[in-house]
Amino acid sequence: MTEEVRYANQIAIVKQECPDADENDIGKEFARYEEEFLIPPEDALRSVVRKFQAATGKEVTSGTSAPARIEKKVNRFSELGADDRNVSIEVAVVTYSPRIQTVRGEERQVAFGWIEDNPWESSSQRERWDFKDWGEKSESLAPGSIVRLEGASVNEWNDKRSLNINRTTRVTILREGGPAAPQIGDEPQSISKASEVEGYVNVVARILTTKPEVIVRRDGSGQIDVTRGRLADPSGSIGFLSWVPFEHQEGSLVKITGASVRKFRDTPEISINDGTVIEPYHDTAFPDMSELAVSTKSTIADLRNGMRDVGITLQVESWNQRTFTSEDGSQKVVRSGDVIDPSGRCRLTAWCEFDPAPGDFIRIEGGRVQFWQGSPDLVIDQREQVIDLSDPPWEKIDPEGHWIDLDLTSLVNGGSRRGIRTSGTVVAVRPDSGIVERCPECRRVLRDGACTEHGPQRGQEDLRLRFVIDNGVSNASLLMSREPAEAFLGLGMDGVRDQIASEGREGFVASLRARALSGAMVIHGRTIVDDQGAMVLADTAELEATSPSEAAQKVMEKWGVVL
Amino acid sequence: MMAQATRRWIRQSAVRIFAQEFFEASLVEEGAGEYDPSFVVTKLGAKVNRCLVGGVIDRIERREGDSGPYYSGQIRDITGAHYFSVAPFQPELHADTEELLARFESGDRFLMLMVGRARWSESEDGGIFTSIRAEDFTIVDNDRYKGWLVEAADATLRRMDAHSASMVSDLNPAALEAAGVPPDLVDGLILSRGHYGDFDPEGYRVGVLRALSLASGRTDSLEPVAPEPETAQTRPTEEAGMPAGPIDASHVILNLLSTKAGELVEYDALVGACTSAGASREAAEDAIENLRDVGGEIIEPRFGFFQLLQGG
Repeated sequence: MTEEVRYANQIAIVKQECPDADENDIGKEFARYEEEFLIPPEDALRSVVRKFQAATGKEVTSGTSAPARIEKKVNRFSELGADDRNVSIEVAVVTYSPRIQTVRGEERQVAFGWIEDNPWESSSQRERWDFKDWGEKSESLAPGSIVRLEGASVNEWNDKRSLNINRTTRVTILREGGPAAPQIGDEPQSISKASEVEGYVNVVARILTTKPEVIVRRDGSGQIDVTRGRLADPSGSIGFLSWVPFEHQEGSLVKITGASVRKFRDTPEISINDGTVIEPYHDTAFPDMSELAVSTKSTIADLRNGMRDVGITLQVESWNQRTFTSEDGSQKVVRSGDVIDPSGRCRLTAWCEFDPAPGDFIRIEGGRVQFWQGSPDLVIDQREQVIDLSDPPWEKIDPEGHWIDLDLTSLVNGGSRRGIRTSGTVVAVRPDSGIVERCPECRRVLRDGACTEHGPQRGQEDLRLRFVIDNGVSNASLLMSREPAEAFLGLGMDGVRDQIASEGREGFVASLRARALSGAMVIHGRTIVDDQGAMVLADTAELEATSPSEAAQKVMEKWGVVL
Repeated sequence: MMAQATRRWIRQSAVRIFAQEFFEASLVEEGAGEYDPSFVVTKLGAKVNRCLVGGVIDRIERREGDSGPYYSGQIRDITGAHYFSVAPFQPELHADTEELLARFESGDRFLMLMVGRARWSESEDGGIFTSIRAEDFTIVDNDRYKGWLVEAADATLRRMDAHSASMVSDLNPAALEAAGVPPDLVDGLILSRGHYGDFDPEGYRVGVLRALSLASGRTDSLEPVAPEPETAQTRPTEEAGMPAGPIDASHVILNLLSTKAGELVEYDALVGACTSAGASREAAEDAIENLRDVGGEIIEPRFGFFQLLQGG
C-alpha cells in the first residue's frame, strides 16, 4: 500500500492547510513519523502541518505568489502562523481595556486585552494572547464572555504574536460574560471569592507558606526560578505561584494588587508576575497564623484535582505495595491503598516507605492531590508528611457500610467522590445502552468496528447501560458497567445478547425504558465531576419502590401541609 | 452555580410541574448566546426548559406537516392539560407514538409520564401559548403516577415557598438568596415578579393538596377505565371535585380572555382551557362560535386568535 492511500485522511487535512504541498511528500512524512518516530499519523498531524506550513511559507517569501486570503479556521493559537489573516477562532475574553489613541491625526477608541484559546476548557489548558481591538467592538467583547472571531489577523512584533480584531472582524457571542467576569478595580476580594473567578484579582492575605521551586521548560530551553506557597484570609486559603522573585516572609500580611487567578487542573491558583504589586499591609484584627492554619485542613469531600498543601486526617482501609521498573531501568516501589474519613473515601499513594495497617489513624500534612481514574488520589512523597495518631479522631468506621448520602444537587456542585449513595428520577435512557464492543487496547467503545485511537479492531463484548438521573434541580449521567447492569437487569450478558438478537437493540432499549424511565433510582458508587457535568458510576443501582402515600406524608411534613 | 456557568452544554434539569402552572405562564426568556437555552418562566418563578409531566392521555392525533408527519396531543393531570407534540424530526419517537395513537383510537386510556422541552407560540400581540415537545415518554401504572404527583406537589410547594419569600425581599440575587430562595429559583423569580401582575399563588395549592390527597390513598379510583372515551374524559374531573353539572364553557373563555387583558389568545388555548375546566371539546368549540357570531362578546381579529371586544 502506498503512503498516499494509507494516510489519505491525514494528507487531505494537510492539503487543506498547505495547498501547495506535494501529496507524495506528505505521505512520506507521515510514514517517517510512524516508522521512525513511532508516532501514529493522528498524533503526527499537527507536526506535519507545521512542517509543510513552514516549507510553503518560505516559497511565499521568495516572491512567487501572495498568500490567498482564504478563511483559516483554527482551535488553538498554536495553529496560527505569523502571517495569518482572516482567522476564525473561538476565544474567551479575559480582559478588555479601552484607550483613546490618535491614529493618523484622528482620535479613535481602541482597546487592548487578553484572550484565551480553547475557551470551553479550564484555563490550565488554554493559551493566552494579547489582542488589540481596532473595530470598537467593546459591546461584544465583554470580559468573561466566549466569542467566535471571524476575520481576525495575527500580528507579530518582537517575536510575540497577538491577534488584531479589525473593523471587518465579525464577533459572535457564544456565551455572555457571566459571573466569571474578572473584576478590575482596586477593591480587594476575599480568597473564597477570588477562587471562583479567573482573571485579575486583588487580595489581602497572610502568607502561610513559601517555598522556592524550579520549573523546567518542557522544550528543554532552560529553567525558571519560581516561588510557590499558600495565602490565607478568614474566608479560606489558596495556593500561589510567583514568577518573579518573592521576598515576603511566611507569616507576613500583604496586599496583593493585580495578580491573576488561573486554574491548575480543578484548583484555582493565584499567579504573581511583573505587573503584580505586593506591599505590606497593616491590620491588627487580621487573624494570625494559628487561626488561619485551620483553613488548610481538609476532608476527603473537599479534595480537588491539583490541590497542594493538604492537611487531612484519615483512617486506613487497605494497603498494598507494588514494585515496578521505572523508565530509567531501576526498580521502584509504590505503596497505595484506600483511606476513609467521615466524609467519604479516596485513594492514598505513598512514594516513600510508609506501611500502615488497616484501621490505623493517620494525619497527613502537605499532601497533594492528583486524579486516578477520575477520582482524587492523595499523594505523599516523604514519610515525614505522616503522623500516626494514637488517639482516634473518630469512632472506627466500618469500611463495608461506609456510604455517604449525597443528594444530586450537592453531588453535581461538588468534586469527584467515591463511596457515595445518591438517588434521582430516570429522565432518559440512552439508546446506546446494551452490548458494546470495546477496543482491546484502550477499552474505548468501538464505532463501526473501529476505535478512534487504534483504528479497526476485533472488539471485546461488554455490557453497559446509560441513563440520565434528575431531581428537578440537578441532573447527572448514570453509567452501569457490566456487573451492576447484570444485577439491575436480573439478566446475564448472554441473556441480553439473546434479547437483542430477537428484539433488536431498539427492542431491548424500549423494554429498558418501559422499566426505568420515570423510576426513582438509588445508586451506590462513585462520581466524576468535571466541565462536562457529573457522571455517576454505579457499583449497584436499583429502582426504589417507596409507596406514594409514604412519599406524600414526607412532603406534607416537610412543608407543613395538612389535608 | 459557578462551576455550572463555565460548562458549555449543561443539560437542563426536568422541572416537575402541573399543567395549570405551565399553562398560565406567559413569559419566555430566550437565550442570548448561540448555545444558551430558552425558558418558559412561570408565575411561581420556575424556569422551564425541560420538564417532567404526567397525566392521562386526553387526545392524540397524527397530522401531516410540510416536513412530514407529526403528532399532537394532550395529557391531563389533576390541574389541567399539557399540550404536547412529537415533531417530524423525531423519527425515533414515531413508532412509540403510533402505538399510543393506536391504543388511544381503540378507546384505551392510560396514564403517562413524559419528559419534554418547553415550547411556545406567540401571537402578533405577544400572547403566549405554552406546550411541550416530547423527548421521551412511558405508560405508567397508578403507583408510579402517584409518585410523580408527590414530586410535582413537592416542587410546586417549594416554588410557592420561594415566591412568598420573594414578596418580602428586594428583587436582587443577593437579597433573594438571603431570604432563603434556592439558587435555581432566583433568576426565575426576578423575571416573574417583574412580568406578572398580582396573582394569588394560593391558587396553585388546590392542585397540590389534591395530589397529596390522592397519593395518600384518600381517593383510590384514579386509574382511568377504558372503553368509553367520554366517560374517561369527564371522570377525572368529577373525581377531582369540580362542580357537578355542565361546565359553562363560555364563562371559562370570557374569564381567560379577560385575564389576558387584550392579548390575542389562540383557538387551541381557549379549547384547552375549557377542557381543562371539564367541558367537552365540542362544547368549547360551540361556545367560541356562539360568543363570536351570536353574542359578539369576543372577536377574532386574526384567524385562529381571539380577544374580548373592548370598550363596547
